Amino acid sequence: MMNRKRDNFFSRFILTIITVITVSLSCSFVHFSHAASSDSSSVHTNNWAVLVCTSRFWFNYRHMANTLSLYRTVKRLGIPDERIILMLADDMACNARNKYPAQVFNNENHRLNLYGDNVEVDYRGYEVTVENFLRVLTGRHENAVPRSKRLLSDEGSHILLYMTGHGGDEFLKFQDADELQSHDLADAVKQMKEKRRFKELLIMVDTCQAATLFSQLHSPGVLAIGSSMKGENSYSHHLDSDVGVSVVDRFTFYTLAFFERLNMYDNASLSSLFSSYNPNLLLSTAYYRTDLYQQQMEKVPVTNFFGSVMETIHTGSAYRGVSGKDSNRAKFEVSSDQSYDRDAKSITTSSDPEKQVDHPGIKAVKSGTCPHADLWNMIVEKVQRIKDVDSIVNYGFVGLLTLVAVSTWHSS
Amino acid sequence: MAEITETMGNESSPSEENRNENSERSNFDNKTMRKSKPGLKRLALTLTVFFSFLLGLPWLLKSIEIYRSPLPFRDIDSLSNAIDSNPFLFPCKFHAVFVNFEHSTPIKQNAEQLGFLVSSHMLQLADGNSFCGTCESKYTVSVSLDSGNGCVEYEDADRGRAWRCGALSEFKFDETVKNDEVLDEYLESVVGRRGRVYTVVVVNAGEGYRVRAVVGKHRHAWIVGRFSEVDMLAEKVAEMFVKIFVGGAKEEGAMQGEFMPVGADGKIVLSFNLLNADPRDWIYDWDFKEVDEKVLSPTLEALGPIANISVESQVLYHTPKSSYSYWDVEVESHIFSTKDLPFFVNSNEWHLDTSIAAGGRSKILQFVVYIPSANECPLRLQLPNGEISMTNAFISPTWGGVVVLNPPNCLGNANSMHPLRRKVSPQELNQIFEVFMGQLRQLFGLKSTGFYKGASGSSILLASERGFTEWELDVLARQHACFNLRQCGTTLGSLSRLVQSLPRMIIKDEIGKQVSYKRCTVIGCLQSSILTRSNYPDIWRACAT
Repeated sequence: MMNRKRDNFFSRFILTIITVITVSLSCSFVHFSHAASSDSSSVHTNNWAVLVCTSRFWFNYRHMANTLSLYRTVKRLGIPDERIILMLADDMACNARNKYPAQVFNNENHRLNLYGDNVEVDYRGYEVTVENFLRVLTGRHENAVPRSKRLLSDEGSHILLYMTGHGGDEFLKFQDADELQSHDLADAVKQMKEKRRFKELLIMVDTCQAATLFSQLHSPGVLAIGSSMKGENSYSHHLDSDVGVSVVDRFTFYTLAFFERLNMYDNASLSSLFSSYNPNLLLSTAYYRTDLYQQQMEKVPVTNFFGSVMETIHTGSAYRGVSGKDSNRAKFEVSSDQSYDRDAKSITTSSDPEKQVDHPGIKAVKSGTCPHADLWNMIVEKVQRIKDVDSIVNYGFVGLLTLVAVSTWHSS
Repeated sequence: MAEITETMGNESSPSEENRNENSERSNFDNKTMRKSKPGLKRLALTLTVFFSFLLGLPWLLKSIEIYRSPLPFRDIDSLSNAIDSNPFLFPCKFHAVFVNFEHSTPIKQNAEQLGFLVSSHMLQLADGNSFCGTCESKYTVSVSLDSGNGCVEYEDADRGRAWRCGALSEFKFDETVKNDEVLDEYLESVVGRRGRVYTVVVVNAGEGYRVRAVVGKHRHAWIVGRFSEVDMLAEKVAEMFVKIFVGGAKEEGAMQGEFMPVGADGKIVLSFNLLNADPRDWIYDWDFKEVDEKVLSPTLEALGPIANISVESQVLYHTPKSSYSYWDVEVESHIFSTKDLPFFVNSNEWHLDTSIAAGGRSKILQFVVYIPSANECPLRLQLPNGEISMTNAFISPTWGGVVVLNPPNCLGNANSMHPLRRKVSPQELNQIFEVFMGQLRQLFGLKSTGFYKGASGSSILLASERGFTEWELDVLARQHACFNLRQCGTTLGSLSRLVQSLPRMIIKDEIGKQVSYKRCTVIGCLQSSILTRSNYPDIWRACAT
């Protein structure tokens, strides 16, 4: 009877310990929610484009044609090479299976050679990896990386991010070896926002189940459109029987059809672009999310992202006085003596009412929600203040060993 | 039979029980079995093992811990909050000198009242001013009254004797520019060596002088004329202090220096490009080295405290522009308007970004001289009001500027078969560089018109041969220091927020050291600048991140 009572007591003791621990753990989660500072005060200064083709091998010809077509469009509308980051596997034009060497087409009429003149690829071949892509977005490169491979945007830049390849539910496949997951992309965009690397960002994704790739985004100022929704595939447009592979995807094909009608001076709006996608022709639903984007899409011209914007101000006057003339200046000779003493009084360090460096104590927890929160926070603070964690752990280890020794000796 | 079996069964069961008991007794092994229930000893053993496990728990957790160098999150958060909420204000000192005012009786106030009048006007004018880099809002103005009979001073306790009596008694004021420069130098010798104080000297001249205000190249200005009302005079002085010396003579509504074109590593690369649109018509070259030594170096030296500037230059060929122009008969030239300006720079053909010296984080400003082809020459810029631009130039903020240079006599030039190799003449080069200087100032947010029109009248701003006057450099240094501090605060704040929101990210030791170093630098810099009230370039150098 006594033993059963002790067992009951013991089990109840263990239960109470466990419940105390879980309660205090659950009460100690306090979230500091800092709203990201909105920089609607910055002026739109330039446009950048990051165009990524994540596939390689001959049968993925159409992905490279997609990317090169968009590259050509964006250049035609005015974005210069120095503001385009082009990431391609670049193994189509000189592929042994290419019947038209050094030429890449996006239409079976072969009217346009996308690889013809002036293609500057920044990351090619095996350099197209998820790591390099995230480095480009966040701007964290090694010191030796040249400027042409960096996204040198500032807080007034609008960035167009176009990705094409093979994708799936919440991921995008990079060259059969890597995966970019949607939360990775969301984290990278969040870092970009914190570091003020863009004013507005337009993400276009042309893969299967494209809309899932930007489902985790939560930074303001981002507009995203995908070629298909979850569970849908994105299809290629047509097969070029001469080259032997499909040469373009449907979503990109209709995007290009929209842009071929435009030139630099036009101001067609983004909503007209987005409404030009016909689900019957695309064989998928082009889904876009605007909940993070403050502007109204009818008023935003597509050249805000796809074209070149240079804000210009006329220079009203030159600055005369810099002609380097070494004229003889007539100095006004003062007859009275020049020497006057200046008492350099030492500057008194008076207490300045505007000392900027007071540290207001931040109240971490709103007490009243949890009974043990104060106590727990005190414990947490004390533990966090312990600088020398290693020695405590060592002491604990020694204690553990002695206890184990004592108990084994006791039981034998 | 059943009875026998029953009795046998009855007999056998007790014997079986006996046998069972015996077997039980013989199966009981004293060494490995026990009869009594487990008691306190077992409890003590169990508890000991349990507590030893609890003791070993930290060791277990440490073995699976992700190494995070401890960052001072709370300090960083408080610092970035402090920087955000309190705009950084600089201490500025002002000094007003009134000369020759004994004769006119309306202005027979004492120096102290004049000081209060001026500072109250300054407070009124400064109400809207809250941009990054302004002076502290409690303006203290020290006043000196210099009349024929001696000087009266009202000043703050921590300044020495400011104005030398009778310094301007023998000066003859006339309104020529040369006289302005002479007076500027003379005033500099009188008031210039006292540290960073902004001085306005008001001289009451005799009849026939109209009010004329000039701002010098250093840190002083003067107003000469006949004054009747004290209030208007004080307002004019206050306007000079607040709008010109503190505000940088910018007009209302202009961009308040949001885009200081300095790179993150404190470097700017100025890239000068001479573009020949069609070398089949003519090929131009220029003598850049000479103009670099004579004109650019003093300016770059003057800007040294703000940014580390390096200069590159190149000549390009086959660089047409991408906008269109039309022939205007009246002006006899090809006209392009301000609407074409955003499309002027042809980024496909203009390979301007070939800098090898620019590191990853420095800022490049492009200055382009565009020489049009023969079928578009002369090319002139038409402003929205119909006038033709005098400078033929424009800028794009944070990118750079473009000047269109028309070769002389290009209308009358018949088609010559050979491409003529010519050099840009020194006069034209000087003109171009004057425009470039104006554009560089425009990129920094300063105007180059040479005068400032305020509510109480206009003032003439003297031009410095170094491209920037000292008070303009002060304005830039203040803005830049404030901007950098803000950047530092937001970077540290966002870093701490980001790191706290990713609890499983490894933080290496170098990062921890750099963060604490940066934080200490920022705090030390803030403290030192407030305490010592030192000059701005030193603050900037100490706070360069």
